[in-house]
Amino acid sequence: MPIIIISSDAREIEETIAQKVAGGMGYNLMNRRILADIAAKHQIDQGRLNEIMGTTPSLFKKMSARQWRCNLACVEAEVLDRLLADNIVCQGLAAHLYVTGVSHVMNVRILSGNSRGIKNMVEQRGLSLHKAEKCRAAELQHRKKWSLAAYVCDETDLSRYDLVINLDQIDPAEAVKTITGAAEYRKFQVMTYSMKCIADLALAAKVNAKLLTSMPSVKVQARDGSVVVITKALNRQKRKKIATIKELAGEVDGVSYVEVHVKNNILGEAAQSL
Amino acid sequence: MSKPLEVLLLDDEPIVGRRLKPALVKIGCRVEVFENPREAVARIGQKEFDIVVTDIRMEEMDGLQVFKHVQEKWPRTKVIMITGYAKIDLAREAMGKGVFDFIAKPFRPDDLRQIIANAAEALGAPIDFSSMGDELVEA
Repeated sequence: MPIIIISSDAREIEETIAQKVAGGMGYNLMNRRILADIAAKHQIDQGRLNEIMGTTPSLFKKMSARQWRCNLACVEAEVLDRLLADNIVCQGLAAHLYVTGVSHVMNVRILSGNSRGIKNMVEQRGLSLHKAEKCRAAELQHRKKWSLAAYVCDETDLSRYDLVINLDQIDPAEAVKTITGAAEYRKFQVMTYSMKCIADLALAAKVNAKLLTSMPSVKVQARDGSVVVITKALNRQKRKKIATIKELAGEVDGVSYVEVHVKNNILGEAAQSL
Repeated sequence: MSKPLEVLLLDDEPIVGRRLKPALVKIGCRVEVFENPREAVARIGQKEFDIVVTDIRMEEMDGLQVFKHVQEKWPRTKVIMITGYAKIDLAREAMGKGVFDFIAKPFRPDDLRQIIANAAEALGAPIDFSSMGDELVEA
């Protein structure tokens, strides 16, 4: 059975609908509760993990871009590992941005709708209508900025999703029924190919998380246990970096072969020649 | 002993049939190999196979057209698609049309044997499948 990833421009609505879909289908719900496990596993402060899911790196928050990426990579690796089991509804972990190209993953976007979203803000936060409108626009802009910074994806681009539901037009109860019904489509059923796709994503994410603990940026792809790592290095550091990557990636369970492609770090070379 | 599974294997790359046929014979399948989709469809018109394994991208006729012929003539037959050009859209299209399973090349004959075993079970004729070390089948 498929995996259903539910995201929305309003956290509360996303949570409610995800719970109802999971309950109705008898699926497991995966949400931010797993951050406690991830924090313990990687010895990261749980509060910080919660924070990175919604904020970008900042000197004021004493969080470097490198730490932020590294922590996000830990979350991604754990989520993908858990998604290797199916019958899951996933919400609140930004999975809609990195679980891509897997045919049995149904990506659902819930639009809280302008009138509903603003009404909720007025009621729950006690804001005036004008302030609520401004606040909502700022929140949407912030989420877009976060998704671009974290995964170079614009989460407001609706063409990314398999199913988009606008709660201004469809009641939440009907939305739950629609999602449940769509999950029954044969197109979203598990197949050998899609299981391999998600296993490859999970392995790449594990390697990425491991490498980011000791280097600032890498790009990792995996296929059937073979891993390709793309990175940048100064000319004189290439050999050492390749060896480090091969050693670290080779320690990850499931990796049988590692290939490293190193591009020349032109900016680094230029800076050193000054 | 139960009746062997009748399998039609269609791929325009001769090496695929050469590699896969012995792997499937090992688990008790009776396999007919075709490289030409028109000849395969003609054979499907004559005989009901339990399982059809077909490449998707072929000249003259693609795997989805072959699937349509199979579905019209023998709705009980399970069709497994193999392709070197796997993409999410193609996988969903194939599954949406009723294909039993979809696998991307390269794969190990063991992977296909596992799918065949699943198909056999779905047909109500489970086979005893045991894993054997083997090599990759390339696109």
